[in-house]
Amino acid sequence: MPPTSSQLLLSPAELSYLHSSLSLTPPIRPDGRTTTQFRPLVAESGIIPSANGSARVCFSDGTEAIAGVKAEVEKSQWRPGSTEQSLQVDEDGGDDEAGQAGTQGTGENSWISMSIEVPGFRDDDALPVFLSAMLTEALLADGKLKDRLWINRRFHWKLYIDILLLSAPLSYPLPLLSLTTHLALLSARLPKLKSEGDEDPLFDDDWEASTYLYPRDTKGACLDRPPITLLVIAVGPNFVFDPSKEELAVAEAVIALSAGTSDASTLNKNLRLLSIRTIDPPSRLTPLGIPDALSSAATGSAPLPPDEQLAAREGTDEHGVWNPPRGGMKRAVLAQIIKAVIEPGGVAQEVMDGLMHVEV
Amino acid sequence: MPREVELSNNERDFILGALRQGLRLDGRGQDVYRELEISFGEEYGVVDVRLGKTRIVARISCEVVAPYPDRKFDGVFVISTEFSPMASPAFEVGRQNQDEIILSRILEKAIRRSSALDTESLCIIAGSKCFSLRADIHVLDHDGNLIDTACAGLVTALQHFKRPDVEVQGEKVTIFTAREREPVPLSMLHHPLCVTFSYYDGGQIALLDATFAEEQVREGEIIVTMNRNGEVCQIAKYGGVAVDALAILSWTNMALVKVQAMTKVIQARLKEDAERRDKDGIAAELRADNDRPSERPHG
Amino acid sequence: MPLDTSSYSLALLRLDGRRWNELRRIHAQISTQAAVDGSSYLEMGNTKIICTVTGPAEGRRVGGGGSGGEATIQVEISVAGFSGVDRKKSGRGDRRIFELSYTIEQAVQTTLHTQNYSGSTISINLHVLTQDGSLLAALINAATLALIDAGVPMSDYLCACTAGSTTNTASSKGAPRPQAALPGLSSLDEEADDPLLDLNGLEEQELPFLTVGTLGASEKVVVCIMETRVQATRLEEMLAVGVDGCKRVRSIMDSVVRDHGKRMVDEG
Repeated sequence: MPPTSSQLLLSPAELSYLHSSLSLTPPIRPDGRTTTQFRPLVAESGIIPSANGSARVCFSDGTEAIAGVKAEVEKSQWRPGSTEQSLQVDEDGGDDEAGQAGTQGTGENSWISMSIEVPGFRDDDALPVFLSAMLTEALLADGKLKDRLWINRRFHWKLYIDILLLSAPLSYPLPLLSLTTHLALLSARLPKLKSEGDEDPLFDDDWEASTYLYPRDTKGACLDRPPITLLVIAVGPNFVFDPSKEELAVAEAVIALSAGTSDASTLNKNLRLLSIRTIDPPSRLTPLGIPDALSSAATGSAPLPPDEQLAAREGTDEHGVWNPPRGGMKRAVLAQIIKAVIEPGGVAQEVMDGLMHVEV
Repeated sequence: MPREVELSNNERDFILGALRQGLRLDGRGQDVYRELEISFGEEYGVVDVRLGKTRIVARISCEVVAPYPDRKFDGVFVISTEFSPMASPAFEVGRQNQDEIILSRILEKAIRRSSALDTESLCIIAGSKCFSLRADIHVLDHDGNLIDTACAGLVTALQHFKRPDVEVQGEKVTIFTAREREPVPLSMLHHPLCVTFSYYDGGQIALLDATFAEEQVREGEIIVTMNRNGEVCQIAKYGGVAVDALAILSWTNMALVKVQAMTKVIQARLKEDAERRDKDGIAAELRADNDRPSERPHG
Repeated sequence: MPLDTSSYSLALLRLDGRRWNELRRIHAQISTQAAVDGSSYLEMGNTKIICTVTGPAEGRRVGGGGSGGEATIQVEISVAGFSGVDRKKSGRGDRRIFELSYTIEQAVQTTLHTQNYSGSTISINLHVLTQDGSLLAALINAATLALIDAGVPMSDYLCACTAGSTTNTASSKGAPRPQAALPGLSSLDEEADDPLLDLNGLEEQELPFLTVGTLGASEKVVVCIMETRVQATRLEEMLAVGVDGCKRVRSIMDSVVRDHGKRMVDEG
């Protein structure tokens, strides 16, 4: 379900060339990057004083997003008789009954609300809704963020995450939005609680005394980090991180992976895979190439009717003739991708460390 | 999307050429309104206003609801506009066009934001019961200057309307029908009216009460809302060709004169209607603020 | 919460320490984004706007050629949920937002030389990051800068600012008519009447104000929106202060554009 504007006007011959160069071992990418290399990006955080946390990320292809995190105190709903229930991740994160009211440090999914604005789309269009569902899912999956929103038995923080995509969605905007959210959450601070127990919460006016939403140790290193969602495409036996829109156009499969820190104690060592999703590749809609055998221009015979033409090309796999992929990837490739993402020093680790150094 | 038939270039040139010679198609002066005709319906708060061929019907209705939780002491007041397709082929049912949103915003700012209606007087019991007043503006025919007509209609209807009388005893509320007790008029703080100037040639020519054809060839408009006390409630000049700041000031002065004249017409018509309804002269006795017979001291 | 105007009449300083005729700090950048034809970032005090312009490009909607050989202007405003003090999500059908975008559309239409681009569309996207008064003025200024960056020819800068009046008669709800107010009180207010330039969010809530947009440094008013009740006699000084403010806004915007151009030349 890619945005329509991401449809590139590439000829079948160009698509075929791209596809075969990406299928080589090692693959050759149009911009010369290695498979796990990201494009350079510009990022800053803490840019909006009226929000608890904020960030702006600008990718080199010109796409730009701003995220703002705002926390408001909200009265908790006391649910009588709610007992231990298995935590479920609901897509809308809104009305599921997960959570045990009254137990210290137990958050509910509905305490986090995310909205994404994409220019040219209404906020109930499929793209923004789907994107926010995917990002919320990853945020909730790590399970610890919503617990930190607990103030006391009667009150909690409600976290509003608003993401604005400033540019038209040129390529699939998920990684951009995810990185922006990551940075905004990383910079988010909550005022220090002065009241005690279950009384109405009272906060310290001093912003210097506020605490980070994602706790840090005395040296300022993060003990826990928000998850990130990355986009990977598979082409033949290869996979490629941070695909450009040209690469997306020939992808056999597109998957979105969310990775987060697993446990505060084993920090920086292990990352956890939070979610994995396949995305309908835009390549499905690319124009197909016509092999010489079927081309009326090459053979001089009358063109076949469309249904016969389709039947005739079934099974032909002529080299250099573009056939839109039908999706699907090998399990071994998927395993390699997951490994590359979450292994110590892997891609997710690298991206997170890179974002850690973003200054205001 | 259906659209209004556009004027031909010849028609445009003709209208503009005539205006530059100080002539309007219907022979009016540049600052002369068409005649404001007001007629009232049988019920209170139903007003039919015509300005030349432009015609709107305004209707006020009310019911008792719970107030908004954040405005416990205020009643509810909603203005709703409806452009009927019979007014112009460009209007569609159920689809708001630009003019309609702008009209409703202007009315909103002119009447609601300037607090022409005292919404606090609509409160019955703070936080639990209040009157919800609804004003429906129906555009029946469109020959230019909708905003002035709609605003005049709405303000007239609000003055004409009477809400049922209520009595509060503790938590108990009794709402009297018109038979039981004479309904009470709304408490209005002031009576704002809109005056729209259509200008041509960078503000050299300014027309009041432009007809539809004149509106189509104008360079811009400025809508000034004033009351007869000389307060400006709202000014809206959404872009259009630039005009001199001094012109805006002189137009507001002219607007005040027009507003005062229009207010006079409206008051006269309201008075006529009140006299017509009050044939036997008993209205004064029926008024709610009169003493009730039971409360009257014996003697 | 009534604004404490008593301190104003004593020190003649406003809540944020400005004098009556001072603008807030205006900071602006152009060409902030690579993927669009024109872009700008504008701060007027704590009101921050990002604007992107695409076009003139071939119109998306075919068959809507009623504009008579002029380019169609599309304005879309999105107010970020985190822009205010309280988080608020504005719906699509918000009429106030519609009115803002309608105003910009109408104002820009006559300032740009749209007749050169018949059949094409210029779309202006405005993002409100934080708001603290003078929203419409900031939106207009940001749009002008982005349109300049996009290289769309226009007659002059379209620059806007707000002007208010410290008069209290209109904001006091209990005394809507001058004759109903206490005579002593109203005369006191008359003395304290002073025009103010460039109102912030708090002042906007309490005082009558208007937004005025002029064409360059001329006295020609393109946009004039007032939504609060005020005595007609106050209007003249409010407009005068507003028009004067626009001239200053223009010179600031002009220096932003010139600096950017200079930097582009220097850096090759």
